[in-house]
This record gives sequence, structure tokens and C-alpha cells, in this order.
Amino acid sequence: MLILGIESATAQVGCAIGGHEGVLASCHSAKGRRHAENLAPQIDFVRRQARVELEEIAVVAVDIGPGLFTGLRVGIATALATAHALSVPMIGISSLDLVAFPVRFTSRLIVAVLDARRGEVFSATYRQVPGGVQRITEPQVLSPADLASDLQATAEDALLVGDGALRYRDDFADLKGVEMADQGLAHPNAASIVQLAHAQAMREEWVQPWELKPMYLRKPDAEINWITREDSK
Amino acid sequence: MSDFSQILGIETSCDETAAAIVVSGQTVRSSVVSSQIELHARFGGVVPEIASRAHVELLTPVVAQAVVEAGMENSDVHAVAATYGPGLIGSLLVGVSAAKALALVWDVPFVGVNHLEGHLYAAFLEEPSLELPLMVLLVSGGHTMLVNMKGPGDYEIIGSTVDDAAGEAYDKVARYLGLGYPGGPIIDELANEGDPTAIDFPRAMRNDGYDFSFSGLKTSVVNHVRKHPDVDAADVAASFQEAVSDVLVAKARRAAKEYGSKGICIGGGVAANSRLREAVLDACVEDGIQGFLPSRAMCTDNAAMIAAAGWYRLHSDGPSRIDLGANPSLSL
Ligand SMILES: [Zn+2]
Repeated sequence: MLILGIESATAQVGCAIGGHEGVLASCHSAKGRRHAENLAPQIDFVRRQARVELEEIAVVAVDIGPGLFTGLRVGIATALATAHALSVPMIGISSLDLVAFPVRFTSRLIVAVLDARRGEVFSATYRQVPGGVQRITEPQVLSPADLASDLQATAEDALLVGDGALRYRDDFADLKGVEMADQGLAHPNAASIVQLAHAQAMREEWVQPWELKPMYLRKPDAEINWITREDSK
Repeated sequence: MSDFSQILGIETSCDETAAAIVVSGQTVRSSVVSSQIELHARFGGVVPEIASRAHVELLTPVVAQAVVEAGMENSDVHAVAATYGPGLIGSLLVGVSAAKALALVWDVPFVGVNHLEGHLYAAFLEEPSLELPLMVLLVSGGHTMLVNMKGPGDYEIIGSTVDDAAGEAYDKVARYLGLGYPGGPIIDELANEGDPTAIDFPRAMRNDGYDFSFSGLKTSVVNHVRKHPDVDAADVAASFQEAVSDVLVAKARRAAKEYGSKGICIGGGVAANSRLREAVLDACVEDGIQGFLPSRAMCTDNAAMIAAAGWYRLHSDGPSRIDLGANPSLSL
């Protein structure tokens, strides 16, 4: 069963194609935040490199966030249209799951931390389980300082992974037993989407395009202002 | 088919999610428009992030509906056209990304379309025999301009707004009068019960050049209501509307004369305004030129006009590159 994986929730954009033989081809670019420009050519390139026709794709998997709104939407709009055009189901995977997955070979607590801009991060906590990771806290958006005090309270050795952890490394510097995964692991990647989605697809754990829900975690500004205004009335 | 006659158009530049199938740039087989007005109404204007989120959710179903309503299958689509500017960047990106993906999977050409060019083509969808050159008055919440349309693909903007777009002025005045959103249709209806000569609002730059200015008019509405709190809102609406149409029509008329236009055509959301439509027709009859008022559905944002303009672009310039992005400030 061939999976097309699409990832564009952070400063990077990428895609991959793979199945039971693993990832057949993948591609990513991190330069210039040209998500909308790069993604369609990447899909075309990756399918040629994988030597498959797009009609052979059985499931379209996509990073549903949380992440940077504009990039995230380019990926989801592309994935929705692709799945619709192919008449195939979809699998949505959280960006936080995607950065936690590649660092699963540790017994420490895994903390996925992605840059949410405006001085905040998106974060969730994971533990290693056979074949992957299991999320043990709900994804949330919070300040790096609040995350640091949460970690301090946990008093457990932790591995922080993601561009948010690196950007705010100073906030975590004083914590005992905390280590940072390096730059190469800091962004979700499309190869991980294919791996995770393939396992789910084998169990037919997919949704139809109209059931796919992006995970924004933050309301639009106008709505935040509106709610504040209504509350203060 | 080699001439790419059956084109799927996609429009997501502002707050309408739209898809349409148009054959040979002329025959509208389907035109689906999903309006987000209700989502934005409580904010009194379009909120970009809310619009973008809604486009993501609505676009695929709207595309599916357009194909079904055209009585076609996906495999009948010969090319995909989408608006790539001007408009809200986040909204444009949804349409462009989806259109490129559809074209890639269906293995058909993709063509990026200028939204303003779409409006220019809207008239030809309903009146293929329109004679050129034509003076087009494009008025909406996002744009206010006079375009001398000399031929297909051959346009010259001869005037545009120096501050607010005409539709923006409608929204702001409606908000100030506490009438709700969107301002255009609300003021239009209220004006029916008012006296358009009740208040003599200023007509900025009416007889001077082809550029427009509406922020002064908006300010005098506010000042007038402040000074006369008991004024009849219907009179304010009617007088405001009269001032807007008067300036728009005076300039379009003068431009048509100077540029030797065979007629005047209007487009954009404000072109659905009943007073403006009436005034344009009267002026054209008086001046002995053609007056063309596309249907209200064709004036407001829709994807049929994008498919039509896409058909023309595809045949004149060929397909767009698949690495095309969105350009929020694209000009004609
Ligand atoms: Zn428009």
C-alpha cells in the first residue's frame, strides 16, 4: 500500500512516498519559506524518483499541525486536493508526533517543542513504546518559561526535540537531566509521516477528506479579541 | 481534447470559496459559490485567518459540487485555473495549492489567473458580443478602478482609488450606522426608503482626473450623523449611495468619452448596487453608447470568470509553471 506523505507545518516543506518496503523517495526544502511554490514540484519529483504513478497512491497522509498557519494550510490544501483527485482516504498526523518519533530510542521522557512564534511554543510529551512513541500529554501552546517550570516539576530526565526547543534553549538551560536533540531532528519530516501512516493504513485507520481536521491550537486573532471583548462586557 | 475547452476554475482570493466549469471560455456549465459572510459578520469585515481556515474546509466539497453540477466526471476536466492574486495571501494560497495538486494528479495544465482579469471577463460570459474598446468600472470591497479594455489581454488602468475602495466605504458607513455587515446590500435596501437629495455629501475629485477618493465621504457621513443625531438613517444611506454612484458614473462617463469606448461595463461586488446600475444605464442611454450590467452573481466574486480568463490565458500564454505561488498585490 503506497502512501504519499506531505509535511509543511514548520519552516520546512517536504514530501515522501513509501509503503511496506519503507520510504521509496523523499524530498525537503528549508530555504525561503516557499511552501506553496515548492510543494507541487516536490510531489512530481518524488513520484518520479520513486518510479510510481500518482494513481498508485492508496492513502494521502499529511501533517495536521500544530504549526505555522500559512505553511500548514498549503500542505493540508494540497493533501486534500490530491486525495480528492485520487479518490483515496487520508491520514492526519500531528507535527509534534512527527518530531518525537525519530528520537524514540530513549527511555527518557520525550518532549516535542515546536516554535509557535510570538514567544510561545507548541508542545506535547511522549514515551517510548514498542515500535514508536505514545503521547502522554495533550498538545498545548504555552510560553517556554511555563514549559520549563512544568518540566522542573516533573523531575524526570527528558530529551527536548524540535525547533522551539533550540530557539528557546536558554529557557531550558538550567534544568537538570534535560538534553536537546540537534538541528537535524528539529523539524517534522515527510519520511516519518510515511512510516507512521503506513502502520495506521495497515489497520485501515484513515479518514475521508471531509473528516480531516487541522490542529491549529490557536484561535484567529480577531476571535481572541472578540472573546476578550465579550468577556469584559 | 487538445484545446483544453473544459476548464475548472477556482477562486479563493477573499471570502468566497468558489469553483466552476466553463466550456471554451464562454459557456458556464456550473458555478458554485460558498459565501463565508456569516463567519465574518460579527467582526464587521473579512478576517483573513478565519477566511483561510474556511477555504481549506470548503474548497474540496465546492470543487466536487461544481463537477457534479456540470454533469461531468473529474476526467472531463481539461485544465485547472485558479486565482493567484490580488487578494488575501493566506486565502489565495489555499486555491493555488489545491489547483496545482488537482492538475498534477489529473495530468492536465494548471493556469494562474489574475482576479481583476477575471472580473473583466465576467461580462463576456453573459454578453459574448460586447464591442471593444470598453470602459470597465471595477468596484468592490477590495478594488475601485477604471480600466480601458482595448482587447482580450490588452488593458490599461486609467484610474484607481487613492484611499478606501468603494465597497470598503459602504462597509465602514454601515458599521458606523450600526446596520451590520456586509454594508453594500444593507445600505442599498435602506436607501430605497430614503431621500437621495436629503444631504449633500461631498463628491471628492468628481470632475478631476480618473482617480477616486472615498475616505472624505466616509468622514462627512460620520460628522453629519454626529451633528444631527436624529437624522433618518434611510436619508443618510440614500444620500451616501447617491454621492458614491454620482462620482463613479461621472468618471466612467468622462473616461468613455475621452478613450472612445463603445460602451461602459461594470464589475465587482459594488456593481450589484441598484442605484449604481440605474445610473450607469441612464448615462449610457444619454451618451448613446452601450451599457452593460452583468448579472449580480457575475459581478460578485465567482469562479466562472476565473475559468473564462484562464481559458484565454492558456491559449495566449500557455500553462503556468507548477512552482507558481500567490501574489497578494498582483496588478493588471
Ligand atoms: Zn473581486
